Amino acid sequence: MLKVENLFKTYPNGTQALNGVSFQVDDGEFLAVIGLSGSGKSTLLRCINRLIEPTSGKIIWNDVDITAASGKDIRMIRRQIGMVFQQFNLVKRSSVITNVLSGRLGYVETLPSLFHIFSREDRERARKNLNMVDLEDKTYVRADSLSGGQQQRVGIARALMQEPKIILADEPVASLDPVLAHSILKYLEQLNKEGGITVLCSLHFLDLVHRYATRAIALKDGKVVFEGLPSEIDNKQFKEIYGKEAERIEVV
Amino acid sequence: MKLNLNQNKTGKSLTIIAPLITLLFPGSGQMLLKRTWRGITLFIITIVLTCLVFWGYNTYKIAEVNIGKLGTSWLWLPIFLLWLWNVLDAYLLSVHKKSPVVLAFLFAAVVLYTTAWMVTDVKLDRLVTRLNDAKSIAARLINPDFFQVHKDGEYRTCGWDCLWSYSKAKIQGEPTYVVRISENVGDIFGRKGTITATQWDSWFTGVRKGERIEGFETGKIVETIAIGVMATLFSTILAIPVSFLAARNIMSRIHGGTIVYYVVRTILNIVRAVDTVIWGLLIIVWVGLGSFAGVIALTIHSIAALGKLFSEEIEHIDPGPVEAIVATGGNFFQVIRYAVIPQVIPSFLSYTLLRWDINMRSATVIGFVAGGGIGFFVLETIRQGGYEQYAAALWAVAVVIILVDTISSKWRNRILEDKPKALPNGKWQTIRTWIYIIIGCAAFIYCWNVTKINLQNLFAPGPTFGRLLRDFVSIDLTKPVLNIVAKQMITTVLQALMATTLGALLAIPFSFLAAKNLTGKSHFSAWIFYITRSMFNILRSIEALLYVAIFVYWVGIGPFAGMMALAITSFALIGKLFSEAIENIDFGPIEAVNATGANKMQMIMYAIIPQVVLPFLSFLIYQWDINIRMATIIGFAGGGGIGLTLSTYFGSLQYHKAGTVVAMIVIVVALMDFASAKIREKFV
Ligand SMILES: Nc1ncnc2c1ncn2[C@@H]1O[C@H](COP(=O)(O)OP(=O)(O)OP(=O)(O)O)[C@@H](O)[C@H]1O
Ligand SMILES: [Mg+2]
Repeated sequence: MLKVENLFKTYPNGTQALNGVSFQVDDGEFLAVIGLSGSGKSTLLRCINRLIEPTSGKIIWNDVDITAASGKDIRMIRRQIGMVFQQFNLVKRSSVITNVLSGRLGYVETLPSLFHIFSREDRERARKNLNMVDLEDKTYVRADSLSGGQQQRVGIARALMQEPKIILADEPVASLDPVLAHSILKYLEQLNKEGGITVLCSLHFLDLVHRYATRAIALKDGKVVFEGLPSEIDNKQFKEIYGKEAERIEVV
Repeated sequence: MKLNLNQNKTGKSLTIIAPLITLLFPGSGQMLLKRTWRGITLFIITIVLTCLVFWGYNTYKIAEVNIGKLGTSWLWLPIFLLWLWNVLDAYLLSVHKKSPVVLAFLFAAVVLYTTAWMVTDVKLDRLVTRLNDAKSIAARLINPDFFQVHKDGEYRTCGWDCLWSYSKAKIQGEPTYVVRISENVGDIFGRKGTITATQWDSWFTGVRKGERIEGFETGKIVETIAIGVMATLFSTILAIPVSFLAARNIMSRIHGGTIVYYVVRTILNIVRAVDTVIWGLLIIVWVGLGSFAGVIALTIHSIAALGKLFSEEIEHIDPGPVEAIVATGGNFFQVIRYAVIPQVIPSFLSYTLLRWDINMRSATVIGFVAGGGIGFFVLETIRQGGYEQYAAALWAVAVVIILVDTISSKWRNRILEDKPKALPNGKWQTIRTWIYIIIGCAAFIYCWNVTKINLQNLFAPGPTFGRLLRDFVSIDLTKPVLNIVAKQMITTVLQALMATTLGALLAIPFSFLAAKNLTGKSHFSAWIFYITRSMFNILRSIEALLYVAIFVYWVGIGPFAGMMALAITSFALIGKLFSEAIENIDFGPIEAVNATGANKMQMIMYAIIPQVVLPFLSFLIYQWDINIRMATIIGFAGGGGIGLTLSTYFGSLQYHKAGTVVAMIVIVVALMDFASAKIREKFV
């Protein structure tokens, strides 16, 4: 279980990105994080694996205080939390297999890894994960020769290499065509349902939230303004989260 | 209503106060009016020019006029006008009107160029009165010593006309003189002879080290190439770790890294400000004369230059992959290996190739101080008055450098395209890779031998090296030394200014001829295009230091000769950059002006010049920056300026004073570097 308690984040330039966020995620949930651009979604997700240092507040995961961990401990925690990014964040000039293998770095010895030496099991695991995202035929091509959707699938395979218990997905489909959005989210759904991996996923389109999430929270100006089932977001809630002028639009 | 009045009042008082305080303190009024940059610039310019006039009159009696019994400099007039202009500018700014900036430039230019003209000792008359010397040297330059003819019992250089009649006679089967390849060619390119066996020879063939064996005597140009290649190799390897220490985004990830970052950056900037040739002077005290000293000097300077470029490249990587690797739990070294290095490989390679080009050019002149390479050869030929041999060396240098330039830019383009390679690689590719590796190793061993690299020498420094280090810490800051150093430094900077101006004035008309998009359809103009381009390329391939000898012969030793040599290289580089800038212009305006029925001159005036003014200015500032660095060494060949002072101090083992000179060079070059970067950022 992941518990976020009264989390604050103030950036060095004074921006208050998180303003006392508290919520809980049970194991096996698919939690959607919604909210306008700038509401603090990315900041929240990055605080959970400490890519960003929260200013105050606590994040407790299975009785371990993530916010208090340091040095080696934080790397031990990070390697159990997979992350998928909006811009994919692949090393474009490296091959697909190298990108996928790099997801294993938290587990392997430093020295061999610096010379790109990975164990047979890790290579086998990489092949399996590429298989899972249907990219086995692209194993040796360079990452930048793939399409956006394919690159995001490599991103998922890389996260899977960590054998994560949680996956943080920061707008994983925002840079993709709407049609591709479903294909990516279906992989996440499959991991969630079949693999039992908890998924925290920030999303822009409500339809996607309705379709995939088991629960949702909404942020506005760094505060949680809604917490509940996706189906509970009615028109009134919607206006509150997104502002008066907002209109609901449909995604294919 | 009341508020409004109040504002008006402060506005009014500003129009009085701003000009008034400007009268006392130039630039302050502008600063008061919230035009900080303008204020600072004006302050600096006014103060520097005032000091310059003062100094010029006291040292050289520049622009002397006598008013009654009192002697003074008429340059005080433009200074006075500039001061007044400051006041006017402050006033006009306060009432929101445009001020005539051109006037300020005019006053400043009068002061600068009058002083520069006197200080660099320009003697136009000599260009004419000694034209015959120029002609004789031109004749020798055109007929380099590549062939010799046996005539009247002795061998003489066989120029083009001699070669021509020789080949004609040969073809027609008539009897003629004996012509052979000259000894000089052997000196430059190498010849069969005896060499001293090296360690490597002893390993591979079993002869004892130090024994005389038959072999290929390396020519000076081959030695030069080896120096450039080795220095590039070493400096690249060493610059990579350094660049990580100088990259802010990397160092901020570890404890105390920011301090390391600042320290390394500062050291790199200082090392870079000292020219390779000056490093050569220091290094020979350490390891002694020879190619090895040249390699070290080039390596040190390149580490600093590459280190800076590499670290900037690291700072500009996409942070996304770094974030991703951190998120997987990877540690610092894994982040660098998997997220940083793959991203910077192409730009590192391309900078290395660029640096190889620069190193090859430096290798041609490092011999002037360090011994070894073609520079040393040139120095010797000049000393003996062997201008035909000197000419042959210049031609050899031109060929090599043009080749290197072409190869380096071709490879750079290919690398920066960064096309994904076809994978996976077959058997043939593995074989090819192995062949490359073997050739590379052989070349490495050969270059190692040729440059006489001896790592033991590093640990057995020369007798005065310790003293040099000590004296450099306690440099001589007494007044007479400072006066001399300041005088020479000002000369150097003004030399660079004159050379840039002269080079640019000459380059502008030629650059239009060398722009492909302006050449007409006729064969004639195509020929003009190729000839101008080749002229730029040939002139550019030879370093200013190598040209000095020509001008020393023509106009005599001194700053004027150095300035002319710098002007030649400036002309070639500016011409090339300008013509490329013209080639890159937007074609729309040209069409529009042509459509109005304008002629060619009008088209240039109205459609092209407005588009190229800014890039031109930027290149000029860039060139001035380069020229200041070059001007610091031009004195080693008799071109005047600070280089002469430095080599004198070094030659007489006065390291205290030499240290002062080096410190001064570092300060001035770093300042100019900073100023030129700021100016280019502001205007371009
Ligand atoms: N590194 C930073 N420094 C300063 N302010 C930042 C930084 N990163 C984000 N912010 C600010 O913090 C606030 C929250 O940003 P965040 O990226 O978390 O929002 P978001 O909900 O993910 O928005 P988006 O949908 O655009 O990705 C915004 O106002 C943003 O401008
Ligand atoms: Mg975001």
